[in-house]
Amino acid sequence: MAKPVVRKPKKKANPLKVAKVENIDYKDAALLRKFISDRGKIRARRVTGVSVQEQRRIANAVKNAREMALLPYSSSAR
Amino acid sequence: MRQYELMVILDPEIDERTVAPSLDKFLAVVKKDGGSVDTVDIWGRRRMAFDIKKKSEGIYAVIQMTAEPATAQELDRQLGLNEAVLRTKLLRRDA
Repeated sequence: MAKPVVRKPKKKANPLKVAKVENIDYKDAALLRKFISDRGKIRARRVTGVSVQEQRRIANAVKNAREMALLPYSSSAR
Repeated sequence: MRQYELMVILDPEIDERTVAPSLDKFLAVVKKDGGSVDTVDIWGRRRMAFDIKKKSEGIYAVIQMTAEPATAQELDRQLGLNEAVLRTKLLRRDA
């Protein structure tokens, strides 16, 4: 009997803790850029490694920042 | 009374020195209705991630204030009517 392969996902370091950020602010475009892809899409939580609550705040912040043209809706790279 | 944060993007063609006085004129409505303007932070000219009204730059300003909800709404409405204002965002600071 072959043993089922159990893969343990490696726990990622929380990038917010690393950067010592407590309040996720839509004005901090430099921070939010870490959470969007080069196409301008919001990175998934399995990629970013933040908590559910933090991911939601990040997503809202990115959307607010987009409205104020601090972040792109989409990048031209196609 | 609630605490608000207001971000305004102004037309880049206006003189940067006139930004503070013209914002003061808009913010007069807050003081008139018993609120207070806590800080006015003018970021200055900044490249926008995409064009708004065919302009690739904008003068950004962030205002922290305490005001009645109706006053804040009215301020936002008046800003929206002005031609020199490209975009505004009014958020509650605590929420």
